[in-house]
Amino acid sequence: MILSPSARRPFRAALFAALGVAVLAVGARVYASDHQDTPEVELNPRMDINDVYAFPGSSADRIAFIVTTSSPIAGSNASFDPNLLYQIKIDNTGDAVEDLVFQVTFDEGTGAAQKYTVRGPVAPSMTGTKTALITTGTTITGTVGSAAGSATGVQTFAGVRADPFVIDLEQFFNILPDRRPSTGALSGPATPTASAFRNPGIDFLKPFNALGIVIELPKSMVLASTDAAAKFGVWATISR
Amino acid sequence: MRFHNTARLLGAAFVLSLVAGCSDDTDNGMTTTGPTTTRTYQQIERLGNPLVSEVFFMKRDHGLHNNTAPATDVANGFGDKIKTFTNGFNRGATIANTLAAVLVPDMLMVYPNRAGNTAGWLSWALANGYGGRKLNDDVVDAGLTAIFGNLLDPNAAVLPGLTSDNISTSTRTYGTTFPYLEAAR
Repeated sequence: MILSPSARRPFRAALFAALGVAVLAVGARVYASDHQDTPEVELNPRMDINDVYAFPGSSADRIAFIVTTSSPIAGSNASFDPNLLYQIKIDNTGDAVEDLVFQVTFDEGTGAAQKYTVRGPVAPSMTGTKTALITTGTTITGTVGSAAGSATGVQTFAGVRADPFVIDLEQFFNILPDRRPSTGALSGPATPTASAFRNPGIDFLKPFNALGIVIELPKSMVLASTDAAAKFGVWATISR
Repeated sequence: MRFHNTARLLGAAFVLSLVAGCSDDTDNGMTTTGPTTTRTYQQIERLGNPLVSEVFFMKRDHGLHNNTAPATDVANGFGDKIKTFTNGFNRGATIANTLAAVLVPDMLMVYPNRAGNTAGWLSWALANGYGGRKLNDDVVDAGLTAIFGNLLDPNAAVLPGLTSDNISTSTRTYGTTFPYLEAAR
């Protein structure tokens, strides 16, 4: 999604309205926790994973995973990129290689007209940085903005939500200018313009939305052992 | 990558047009093949723990993080990159080594059979907790405190202006039921 200059205008206008501050009048791009990345990802926010979460689900035997991407998204009609493969990967044997994956893909369309498909958890056919779509195991199809699946089995959601991440991003870049985006409101000098956080800080991302993928399921589906020392590692990827 | 691929495709198209130009142009029997059903995807982005790439890694290394997998994080010197960052602030070997030990390979660690009320970023390492990461974890302050405070090394100097961004997750509302994320603004 590399917006043409004309297509960017409404996007910027929405951001300005959301922020209500003149400081952003020089540009229109801000980024959350992993909101500063390679130049290509900077050009296409839908290639950007912002954050990954894993926490106890709605009951003691369930676990929830959340991946946020694309912050900042303006408006409720934003869409996931149908050309990208979003994955959550789990290593439950301690070798830092994925043993189970969730694979999430999207069809064309925007807002509630877009459908998502969640495959897994299932062993991947390839590990590492190359991936093929899984053709076996559980598959759940839902509508963007709505939950699908089962509250006692695998439950899924994908859609536009508030960006949950909290940071004074502007001051972070003032302290660590190497991490700045190269264009937009938060671009700036390459040398530090601050050596400490300001107090009070500014909850920079509060006005913004992100695209969220949420998967909750029985924890036994990602880790068979009930031993208290049993563990797994989780990370998210985007591939094309 | 996009531009390299585009250049490669344009080059291929040019060669094809040359071949076509040299061939008998009455021959329209050229067959085309659609995309295969066994498309191979190439990873272009990844994230495990918060702050690892975006705080510790120079921007020039973000591509290395994005285009590799946790299994090669040790070999790719991710621990040394963390150390280079903390050395820049004279934080000492104890802090650098502790951070590298819990963040490399870069996977968000979860001990799901431990008590759910101990869930939180890095609680598995610091307090024998569930680990993982909750929506309301203030990972920025946690990370800053670990780097610039004396939590990991009692002998380390505290840099008070850098141990918090002075914003709390308590200013937000997070859902307690699926799908947990607050409604769009």
